[in-house]
Amino acid sequence: MKKIDKKTANAYIKARFRLTTVLLIIWLTVSFGMVLIAETLAQYTFNGFPLHYFMGAQGSIVIFIILLFVNAYICDRIDEKYNLVEKKSKNVKGQTLSQ
Amino acid sequence: MDAQFLVSLLLIIASFGLYIGIAVYNRAKQTSEFFVAGRGVPPIYNGMAIGADWMSAASFIGLAGTVMVLGYDGLAYIMGWTGGYLLLTFLLAPQLRKSGRYTVPEFIGDRFQSKTALVIAAIATIIISFTYSIGQLAGSGVVIGRLFEVDAKVGVMIGVVIIAIYATMGGMKGITWTQVAQYVILIIAYLVPIIFMSLQLTNNPLPWLSYGNIVSELGALDRELGISEYFKPFDTASKWQFLALMFSLMAGTAGLPHVIVRFYTVSTMKAARWSGAWALLFIGLLYLSAPAYAAFSRFILMKQVAGSPIDNLPGWTEKWINTGLLSMADTNSDGILQWKEIAISNDIVVMATPEIANLGIFVIGLVAAGAMAAALSTAGGLLMAISSSFSHDIYYRIINPNASEKKRMAVARWSILIATIVAGLVALNPPGVITQIVAWAFALASGTFFPALILGVWWKRGNAPGVIAGMIVGLLVTLTYIFLAKFGGITVFGIIDTGAGVFGAAAAFLTNILVSLSTKPPSQKTQEEVLDLRYPEQLKYQNGEVWKDDEVI
Repeated sequence: MKKIDKKTANAYIKARFRLTTVLLIIWLTVSFGMVLIAETLAQYTFNGFPLHYFMGAQGSIVIFIILLFVNAYICDRIDEKYNLVEKKSKNVKGQTLSQ
Repeated sequence: MDAQFLVSLLLIIASFGLYIGIAVYNRAKQTSEFFVAGRGVPPIYNGMAIGADWMSAASFIGLAGTVMVLGYDGLAYIMGWTGGYLLLTFLLAPQLRKSGRYTVPEFIGDRFQSKTALVIAAIATIIISFTYSIGQLAGSGVVIGRLFEVDAKVGVMIGVVIIAIYATMGGMKGITWTQVAQYVILIIAYLVPIIFMSLQLTNNPLPWLSYGNIVSELGALDRELGISEYFKPFDTASKWQFLALMFSLMAGTAGLPHVIVRFYTVSTMKAARWSGAWALLFIGLLYLSAPAYAAFSRFILMKQVAGSPIDNLPGWTEKWINTGLLSMADTNSDGILQWKEIAISNDIVVMATPEIANLGIFVIGLVAAGAMAAALSTAGGLLMAISSSFSHDIYYRIINPNASEKKRMAVARWSILIATIVAGLVALNPPGVITQIVAWAFALASGTFFPALILGVWWKRGNAPGVIAGMIVGLLVTLTYIFLAKFGGITVFGIIDTGAGVFGAAAAFLTNILVSLSTKPPSQKTQEEVLDLRYPEQLKYQNGEVWKDDEVI
């Protein structure tokens, strides 16, 4: 095990936390946020749909999927930047079964 | 015995032959392999396996019908069951994986240093998975019942035999690769009828782009009939019910034992992130299609079936009316069947629509095969969760710690068999429509596991008395609310039984925090281990310092 400089470690964790926070805020807006303002959205149409229906049936779900891919991609880039790319699988600590 | 029966049966048998073949080929040899498939599944395939595990009878058979019956309010299921994945991926999966514990009860037991907490979590796993698998077996009953034109009860019994045979044989390794095959078959089976209907109704092969206009037309048809528009928000239940149900499904997803274990089946966290993303893409494909299925079905029923003379109904109606899930009665005796005179159960929409739209025997058979795959694949994952909770967490950890590996394997297989039979008995008289039964399982998960896991991972002050009290209170509040709302007619803010999880989760969070704060904090070592979970797998937090983990990098 190699010790990591406290500053580097904190910067790395902060970058990961910031990413998660931003993605969760977007998630909250497109899910609960869109339902809260459904009546307002209902006045508009998109591609034939009333907008609130479009968001519930397609818009939110597509954004959810994009968020997960963005997360996977950016996390990989952050790992690379801090030179912390996982190379091998970790032995599971709690592997009581195979003891 | 007509041609339809033969084609459907042949397709079901062929697809199951494939699954069982894969299961036998990969037959589990060691216990560790039996549980997490040796951790060697590539992300994209793991994504498909998660998808198949996830897309149950509720998604495949029940969802489109629920959206059709509930209109906009049914979309809570669509948003809830997809959105929960983000909560899981961001707040729980990496941390639980790092803890390296095989199952959720094991994590809770070790994190809180308490055998009592472990046993309660194992019991909760069994209750949740059991409720969930009742929905699956009820779904297989609908499919088999229609196929053989027998009572759905007989259908359930046949389903029980099939699932018991193949789950006890394969184990998770068998199931992982079997799940990949099941995903492929069920997504094809779901998309083919929608694409055909889209071509029939809109001349556009891409239903996702074409059904918006159908939704608007449905609204216009409803206005003509003087009923509320299909897409009118919060028409069947309150806005609070929509939000509560969505929360309950999301939090339930994040706490569902058989989904979390899938994040263990890939070797690195990097791979786990990508499998999660692929999984939601594969799952999303079906969830984006379900509202299209619903809209096309309703449109065909309104335009082509409603308005026909009552003594000259199409041939398919009789077979479904015989199952008791469809009724068409000329209540105003004008000799014409009206839209308002059609009562269709949520559970048959997906199965019946290909017949209604006259898509041909091959498509109808394909849908039957896909529906069976959906019901039985999820049942497989759930029964594995029940079996590992019992054999590993309760039997091996508590009852008989000296059990040999052979003995534990035997207990694991017997518990799958027994759980399947008992769930089948309950499914003979399902207590609700499929999506509703499954929503209860999610409400229970959000009332027990979600608070316990979130606080266990993110709050180092949480201790054993807190989590024990929290899980018990959450379980009781959720169960009580489900029963009061369903049978007692008592509701708060218009939130009905399916949204019960919001109360369970709130009560569990509160109890967990209050009890933890009024009792002794966990040991310094435990608190440090909890802090360590926040660091990604490559890093180790120890004595206030951060280290690179040589085992990983």
